[in-house]
Amino acid sequence: MRTLLIGCWYQLLVLRRSPADLMALFVVPVNTTVFLAIMQHADRPDLAGHAVLAPGLMALWAISLVTCGELIDAERWGGTLEALVAVPARMLPLLTGRIVVVVTASLFAFVESYFVALVFFDVSISVPHLGVFVVSMLATGLAMACWAGVMASVFVLARSARIFQNALGFPFFVLGGVIVPVSYLPDWLRPLTNVVFLSWSSDLLRDALNPAPVQDFGFRLLVLLLLALAGGGLGAYLLSAVLRRVRSLGTLTYA
Amino acid sequence: MHFIRVFQAGTLNAFADFAATYTVRTWTFAWLGRIIAQVVFFTLIGTLLGSPEQQRFLLVGAAVMAIVGEVLFACASSTWERRAGTLPLLVASPGSLLAVFAGRSIQWVPSSLATSSVCLLCVGPLFGVTWSVPSALLLVVVLFVTAATTYCFALVPGAAVLNAMDLRNIVANVIGALITAFCGAVVPVSFWPSWIGWAVNALPVTHGLRAVRELASGGFDVLPHLGYAVLTAAIWLVVAGWLLRRLAERGRRDGTIEFGD
Repeated sequence: MRTLLIGCWYQLLVLRRSPADLMALFVVPVNTTVFLAIMQHADRPDLAGHAVLAPGLMALWAISLVTCGELIDAERWGGTLEALVAVPARMLPLLTGRIVVVVTASLFAFVESYFVALVFFDVSISVPHLGVFVVSMLATGLAMACWAGVMASVFVLARSARIFQNALGFPFFVLGGVIVPVSYLPDWLRPLTNVVFLSWSSDLLRDALNPAPVQDFGFRLLVLLLLALAGGGLGAYLLSAVLRRVRSLGTLTYA
Repeated sequence: MHFIRVFQAGTLNAFADFAATYTVRTWTFAWLGRIIAQVVFFTLIGTLLGSPEQQRFLLVGAAVMAIVGEVLFACASSTWERRAGTLPLLVASPGSLLAVFAGRSIQWVPSSLATSSVCLLCVGPLFGVTWSVPSALLLVVVLFVTAATTYCFALVPGAAVLNAMDLRNIVANVIGALITAFCGAVVPVSFWPSWIGWAVNALPVTHGLRAVRELASGGFDVLPHLGYAVLTAAIWLVVAGWLLRRLAERGRRDGTIEFGD
């Protein structure tokens, strides 16, 4: 627990010095403007909730992909990975603490998009199912943190992590149904969308904004949490496998 | 003549960088795949709206915005040059800084031309955006002019971030998102207050996008739009040259050429 808290504290200090790590937060107001403009121009105020949630989900994913994805690699570039591996403290809780801070900070994107809608478009988003919304948001943050651990490990092995970071944004925004529900996608994509946690998150969050009763909330939340668990397990396994590999190959540092 | 020689040397640097970043496979499956997903993402909003017309409008807008997103990588690639430590030598040499930096990020022009062409010519027909053979051929020319002129604009933020290199990605992303919002890619420019319409007319891509929409609607009257794109691009190129000269003069004066960040 202490290592986890140290990881949190360290990441807070890093974020204070490098605002570019939360770059997606700078784009959220403009993305909200883009989506709300499309809905207003089409005279579809009923889709305002889609337009406000999407920039938040996109920012959450983008920040996790870029910032969390580079956590281990940045230590490697800085020449500090050797020392981190050599110390008695375990790497996993340290990394988890850092990821938790980044994911929590990126949740601010939802606040941004809410206020952009309110101030610039006079659109007030109400949340008829507040409990569902809060629980779904927490579960989404948890799932994102778990899958960010997978990215952090995988990117260590990639020749150019930046290529994958650029590549993994929009395909997941489509498969995750961040603005257009996955029910609009062809049926043959369903096996893929079912294992993308964002698709469950975005559907649950949108349903929480809809006055109609939320169907199968328990089951859908359970699937989201199971996907989070799968990401966490895979992340922990990959981290130990990657560290074992770079240790045995002598590539803990680039030198 | 000297300007062109320096520019050519810059382009060699640019393509060497590009080859070091991408293989044919990673460009095709990672980058092109990502751009296609981006265009499909926006096009599907038209599906959500239940309007095939909106679907086509958004597809064309998103495909042209793929050019903007990519040529704005000039912000990042300009800073790579400074990070490489070559700026003192460049400033000391008699060559033009504009020629160096205009060549240095040119790789994004052919790459964005290829991705936007694939999106419009291959993905477009799947969503009802169809082309005749003459319009398809002219489309490639229009996209090239759009990419080249938008690149001239991108050199301005590229030159500006040389003084604040940590902001390179933030600046590029925010400018790209603003252009997507206001220059007619997702909603007509007339949707916004008139002063925004005036402002976006200063951007080459606004005119390039109009030319592409003209072709997509079956017309061929693209020359006036391309003319405006070239004219505005020339102005932005002058601004970029001025910013780079200012960077060099300031660097000489206060000794920040080497460590300007």
